[in-house]
Amino acid sequence: MRTKLGVLVAGLALFHLTPLVAHHGFDTEYDVKKRVVSLTGVVTKVEWTNPHMHVYIDVTDAGGKVTNWNMEMASPNTVQRQGWGRNTLLPGDKVIFDGFGGKVVESRGALSKIAKAQTPNTPLFVQGGPEAAAQGFPQQ
Amino acid sequence: MKKLVIVSITAAGLALVLFVQSQAQERVRIVPAGNTPLVPANTVNGPVPKLPDGTVDLTGPWQGGGSNQDIEREGGLKPGELPLLPWAKALRDTRNERDEPYVACLPMSVPRMNPFPWKFVMGYTSKGLTHIYVLHELGDAGAHRVVYLDGRKHPPDLLPTWWGHSIGQLKGNTLVIDTIGYNDKFWFDSRGTPHTEQLHTIERWTRINYGTLVNDFTLDDPGAFSRPVQLKFTANLIRQDLDLMEFICNENNQAGIAGGFQLNNEQR
Repeated sequence: MRTKLGVLVAGLALFHLTPLVAHHGFDTEYDVKKRVVSLTGVVTKVEWTNPHMHVYIDVTDAGGKVTNWNMEMASPNTVQRQGWGRNTLLPGDKVIFDGFGGKVVESRGALSKIAKAQTPNTPLFVQGGPEAAAQGFPQQ
Repeated sequence: MKKLVIVSITAAGLALVLFVQSQAQERVRIVPAGNTPLVPANTVNGPVPKLPDGTVDLTGPWQGGGSNQDIEREGGLKPGELPLLPWAKALRDTRNERDEPYVACLPMSVPRMNPFPWKFVMGYTSKGLTHIYVLHELGDAGAHRVVYLDGRKHPPDLLPTWWGHSIGQLKGNTLVIDTIGYNDKFWFDSRGTPHTEQLHTIERWTRINYGTLVNDFTLDDPGAFSRPVQLKFTANLIRQDLDLMEFICNENNQAGIAGGFQLNNEQR
């Protein structure tokens, strides 16, 4: 019983953490073990394109090296239904974000959460919901 | 006094802007991605709506009602119950999700339903309800599926196509769609369940209440299955202020790059 409960809790936790790539499965491209946690950077581009939106973010490491992350989101339609408009996130915005890195290309990631740096506790975007479960993400 | 009024109006305007912004922020924050809102739960069991001529209104938009990840499980069968012929089972087991045509923006076809809105567009002419278009926000790849209700038969010697040739009949609250002429290029699910050009499907879509549409689905393909199989799917009504939105899949499909592979040439 305790084991079942533990599995359920773990499953629910992953359900909320794992990102959505609605048009194709998560684990063909992204690695659930490559967690991207609380990275801070500056948005350089927001692509409102199909099948998925992409947000590009410059992240500077401790040594001063800048990496331009390409973070994949859901479709523009899904994000608009969530309440986004074209000015919700803009180049120049300083952000804090979570996600999962690409299996091979490590500067690519699946975005699971993003917030403006000045309001880190009110994320603009959180992955999850029924579509994530329906797309075979590693939440089981 | 005049200055005070101006200051007051300005302050009120500023407060209104801030209020609207905070509301927008809250609206963004509280809705998780991927959740296309359905109609309120307390309306689902309401009466089946009818068109002015008494015909059942099947319009939608709907979400679900077909396979997506695994047709066997989603269709209500237990593992191993799908009567695939040995070659078809072997093919399914060797397929990789990254190779599925749908990922390359090709049509998903029947009975697949991704978790996005779709609808039956009921087409009336001077002869009544003569055809129904089936539109999906994602998965049509720029094409459209048409179901003829004008009494025509399937033509002989059909050229295989992604959506095949569909003829339909309305029987009470049920739309029966009979389709042949499919190609063998699409997958039933991301698991890779295959079929052949011998595929024949019968969909029985019944609106059982305001918010629910049931798809009793007969899959008959002697090329890939040892016998016809009966599956069942359920679609749910999407909130009525929402509709299908534009989706041009090939605009910027970067599928495969993060994983170190690209779509193969056959898929492009």
